[in-house]
Amino acid sequence: MFKKVLQSISKSLNRQQTGPLPTAKTEAAKREVIGAVVSHPKPSAAAAPKPDAVAAKETPRSPEELCGITPKMNKEQIRDHLKMLYRRFNQSASSLDQKTRSEADTMLDAIVAVREKHFGQI
Amino acid sequence: MADYVGIDLGTTLSGLAYLKPDGNPEIVPNADGERLTPSVVYFDAHEDVKLVGSAARDGGDPERTIFQIKRYMDDPDHVVKIDNKDWTPSEISALILSKLKRDCARIVGEINEVVITVPANFNELARKSTIAAAEMAGMKVRRLVNEPTAAAVYYAHTQGVQGRVLVFDLGGGTLDVTILEVAGDSIRILTSEGARHLGGGNFDELLLDAYDQQYRKQVDAPLYNDERQRRRSLQAAEDAKKMLSKLQRVSDTIGNDTSGLARIDLSREQFETMIRRMITRSLMLVEQALDSAKLRTSDMDHVVLVGGSTRIPKVKTMLEKFFGKQPKSCGNVDECVALGAALFAKKSGRIQEVCNASYGTLAMVYNAATGEEKLMNSIVIPKNTVIPTSRTQLYQTSEDNERVIEVDITQGEDADPKYVDVIGRITLEVPPNRPKGCEVAVTFSYDENQRVRALVVDKQSGRSREVAVSYKGAGVLSDEELKRRSTHLRAMRIE
Repeated sequence: MFKKVLQSISKSLNRQQTGPLPTAKTEAAKREVIGAVVSHPKPSAAAAPKPDAVAAKETPRSPEELCGITPKMNKEQIRDHLKMLYRRFNQSASSLDQKTRSEADTMLDAIVAVREKHFGQI
Repeated sequence: MADYVGIDLGTTLSGLAYLKPDGNPEIVPNADGERLTPSVVYFDAHEDVKLVGSAARDGGDPERTIFQIKRYMDDPDHVVKIDNKDWTPSEISALILSKLKRDCARIVGEINEVVITVPANFNELARKSTIAAAEMAGMKVRRLVNEPTAAAVYYAHTQGVQGRVLVFDLGGGTLDVTILEVAGDSIRILTSEGARHLGGGNFDELLLDAYDQQYRKQVDAPLYNDERQRRRSLQAAEDAKKMLSKLQRVSDTIGNDTSGLARIDLSREQFETMIRRMITRSLMLVEQALDSAKLRTSDMDHVVLVGGSTRIPKVKTMLEKFFGKQPKSCGNVDECVALGAALFAKKSGRIQEVCNASYGTLAMVYNAATGEEKLMNSIVIPKNTVIPTSRTQLYQTSEDNERVIEVDITQGEDADPKYVDVIGRITLEVPPNRPKGCEVAVTFSYDENQRVRALVVDKQSGRSREVAVSYKGAGVLSDEELKRRSTHLRAMRIE
């Protein structure tokens, strides 16, 4: 059902470029190494909402709040949600972006705390 | 000359192995007579010499001693400043590799080509930095291989096992979990998952905190005030950790010149409580690996332990409880990665590997059912696809009269662009005055050397552009700079 539409990313994200964009070449099938990628490639804050962990600056949030666990969730839903979050933030912990890595560590701690609360300690 | 050489460039210890004529791998000791070389570098203040290994770890000024540099191989901003010179993690690693190459070449002959092991979740920069380190040390990297894959190759070679094997590799700095299938002489990797900064080094830091707390209670002063004292205390904590793998309790006397000595008492139970959350994280990685391979615990025929930190009893009991079977040690847990890398150098043709990460592009994805449009990471090659592989996805331009098509190349599994890295970009100029909706084909190929190529074809005009996807951002040396530093490094005195 999904239709993918390619979009000029700089337009769609309205992000700030940290270096000049690569000059487009007109020759067909030109082989070369990309030489001017953005050094901080995350979408700008304006384009995408911040992760839960970052949004919690004013008041400290509980691990469950950070993980988006709600009272209506049953055990199976919590388990699946934690697995999704673990996969996401474990991957982010290896990001090229230092801020992303740091946020990921906070989230991983929260994920473990929630897991221990709902499923017991190892 | 040694034809098949494998190097485990570890966080804490590094080792080099070669394949003997009888087809069995063997560790080559360094010039200090040690089978494994501590991954520590010391920059002497008086002599123009770089010490690598035990001498660096045990004797030097901590301000001039570099430990666990591997933890920073994926950090583009990390540099070590010594005598007003900035050293990148890649250069520090090159010193360690140089020591291994020079020392071991005395025994096995010239070493030109090597297989080097890396953690399964090493990102693009870290892999590139590892290759650069080897080149600076005067070695060509035949292949990079994931550490648990190398360990599994060794395990399969020595134990003659068949069936599905889960390798749990908990080293000094990282945890890797790999699931593979052994059939006859062939090995098929099903998935590799990794966790950064989860290893023995983290456990040592937790124990150091416990030491400090007990010390403060007794002496009313901090255990350490400078890096030298902290290093000594950390070494004591590491020793205590090793003891607690064998004993239920340890007692230690520790202190410093200014505040005196104190007695530290720790039990295994206390230690296990300290590391409990990290062990939980490690179990979650095991679950993730099983999910990725669409397997259950009962599908595993063998659970294999690799890495020094798997000596911790809690790690073994956790895995035994989870799988319902006793995990087996991969022989010498410290050496099997290097030994497996040497085997891999010879047998790589019989080992089927998979993509370490997903590759794709950022695209607006339109849901025809709901009418919603969302920027997403659109995956072209999913993680764990058997390599070599080539996959194509069709996209459409979204604006009228678009003159330049820009395709960001992403690395990461998440559909949300916030959680993936953009490692390259292709731009393709297209003819003017075209309506939106023109088809563009994006093809990614991934070869056995983990090199990714991307091809963008504008279907209407036939214009295309192909690039080698290569992270060129911060932290990566230019070819010229690499050559210059390589020449400089080869002239250094490294002991």
